[in-house]
Amino acid sequence: MALLTEVQKNYGKLKNYVNGEWVDSTTDKWLDIENPSTGAIIGQVPMSTVDETKAAIEAANEAWWAWRETPPIARARLFFKLKELMEQHFENVARIMVQEQGKTIDEARGETRRTIENVEVAAGIPSLMMGYSLEDGAAEGIDEDAIISPLGVFGAICPFNFPAMIPFWFWPYAVATGNTYIVKPSSQVPLTMNYLTKIVEQAGFPPGILNLVNGSHEVSDTMMEHPKVKGISFVGSTPVAKYIYKHSAENGKRVQAQGGAKNSLVVMPDANLDRTVANMLASYYGCAGQRCLAGSNMIAVGNVADPLLKKWLEGTKKIKMGYGLDESVNMGPVVSAKAKKKVIEYIDGAEKQGAKVLIDGRKAVVPRYEKGHFVGPTVIDGVTPDMTIANEEVFGPVVSFMRMESMDDAIDFIHKSPFGNAASIYTQSGRSARDFRYRVQCGNIGINVGIVAAMAYFPFAGYKNSFFGDLHGQGQDAIKFFTDRKVVITRWY
Amino acid sequence: MVECDFPECTTFGAVVRFSIELEKGAAGVYEEFAKDPAAASTAALFTELAALHKKRMAQVENMRQQKLNEMILEPIQDMNRELYLIDTRVPKGADAKAAAKFAMAIEDTSSRFYVDAAKIAKTIMAEGSRFMDKMGKENLAIKTKLAAL
Repeated sequence: MALLTEVQKNYGKLKNYVNGEWVDSTTDKWLDIENPSTGAIIGQVPMSTVDETKAAIEAANEAWWAWRETPPIARARLFFKLKELMEQHFENVARIMVQEQGKTIDEARGETRRTIENVEVAAGIPSLMMGYSLEDGAAEGIDEDAIISPLGVFGAICPFNFPAMIPFWFWPYAVATGNTYIVKPSSQVPLTMNYLTKIVEQAGFPPGILNLVNGSHEVSDTMMEHPKVKGISFVGSTPVAKYIYKHSAENGKRVQAQGGAKNSLVVMPDANLDRTVANMLASYYGCAGQRCLAGSNMIAVGNVADPLLKKWLEGTKKIKMGYGLDESVNMGPVVSAKAKKKVIEYIDGAEKQGAKVLIDGRKAVVPRYEKGHFVGPTVIDGVTPDMTIANEEVFGPVVSFMRMESMDDAIDFIHKSPFGNAASIYTQSGRSARDFRYRVQCGNIGINVGIVAAMAYFPFAGYKNSFFGDLHGQGQDAIKFFTDRKVVITRWY
Repeated sequence: MVECDFPECTTFGAVVRFSIELEKGAAGVYEEFAKDPAAASTAALFTELAALHKKRMAQVENMRQQKLNEMILEPIQDMNRELYLIDTRVPKGADAKAAAKFAMAIEDTSSRFYVDAAKIAKTIMAEGSRFMDKMGKENLAIKTKLAAL
């Protein structure tokens, strides 16, 4: 099968987008952007300076009031235009994502669709941000109104696993509600957001409304510390999420900081095994296990363990790895050499602690892509609750197979985890399903669904160490995060 | 010969790509026949069918863009690529009847592909399944039309 064409072989030195202009960074620190499938260097990203970040914040702040005064329906019109342009650029967005992140083209197309869905939801802003009124609400002849108002400048610090979708969990809602915005994409995968920002520019958003600043922690810290930034959204690992939450809060910001995960998928004896295995393959191996909603622990309850494991091994052996621009590929590489090393260390550790590696992806080599960071699908049997691999986030295509006596045991185990992002149950029993969704303390629950990814009109975040904050990303929570309620009490003599 | 590149049907995207290649192949074959003086009497019909298959190709691409959802990217393991390959080596100088017979084989194989793809899509995408089913039925209708030549 011939590869789909790459949009560009090399994207050169990236610029920042500030106040409606593409500007060169003055930094002397640049990072190479690597294609994780081929090992090729496909561009360079600047580690922008503190002053450059401050300039973006000032530009966003300067643009804010006029944007706030723009009627919501006029703001919405720009999102309709943006949606139309994104549909036209759909395939290019997906292919750039494959090039810089390593996911398969189908995964990238799916992500592009979800990215657009956030624009579609934000385009409904005139209805979504309406306030409410009550005649005689305060007393006889005294009316009371609650008005939903924007706050100013917001910013997002984004991870590498979803280069398009995650910035769009936030900025469309912020901007649609009348705020201005700064996105700092992951320096490992800045190309997709760079391309999408060009589409935003083409759609006609006024200067300063959306700004793009490439860089590292200097950019993030400047956003968190700057008095004109009202709030920060973050997605990444738990230690960094904790830092972002604390540091932003210390500086008086609103914060939503999404952290790591350790998701368990529980298979009951009455599960439909064929459908279950097909669905779980996408959960554990999709995006090479680098979703915060990816399955990690597979908990087989009772006598389902042996038949489940047999089918799972059969399915795993059929997973085809390669460069995601080959449409027949099921799984791409992990994002970097560092990420690969970390995944391999977890597999080594599990073996040392007594687990048995049934399918070993540590030495996987994909012909023609020997420089790619591929880790093959890996199945580890005999994992017990005390092992490191059962408790820490691996972020790779590794299945920790665990056997438990009952659903209660599985739920107890899930509750001992410091994370609470997602958990799923596979069963044909409504009773078990109801019990599971009622009792399990996670932000996202799947019933015969292995990737519990909330749609744009539903909120997304986890519990416990998977999330720091209160209002989640997307949906009505996003509207609330980016606005405040102003109460007006009126009396006319 | 119309160049096609049929993938292994291991993912939904690959199934869609296979479908795009089928449509591209069929459109190309009809275009070749339409240009061949030996089948001049059916040139208009073949031109029309080439346009129809190009339209179908655009519909398939649109379906992929609008319906593909990363939540349902389950690996596909039950479609054997070899069963659905079409012959796009267009015979030169084929008269209308011979050309129709050649094209009927393409429509027949395509129909089988869509029927089987519809069954697979049913578990992951109801609308995609309906779309594939409709495509397969349309292939059979074209085949009947060709058989009448």
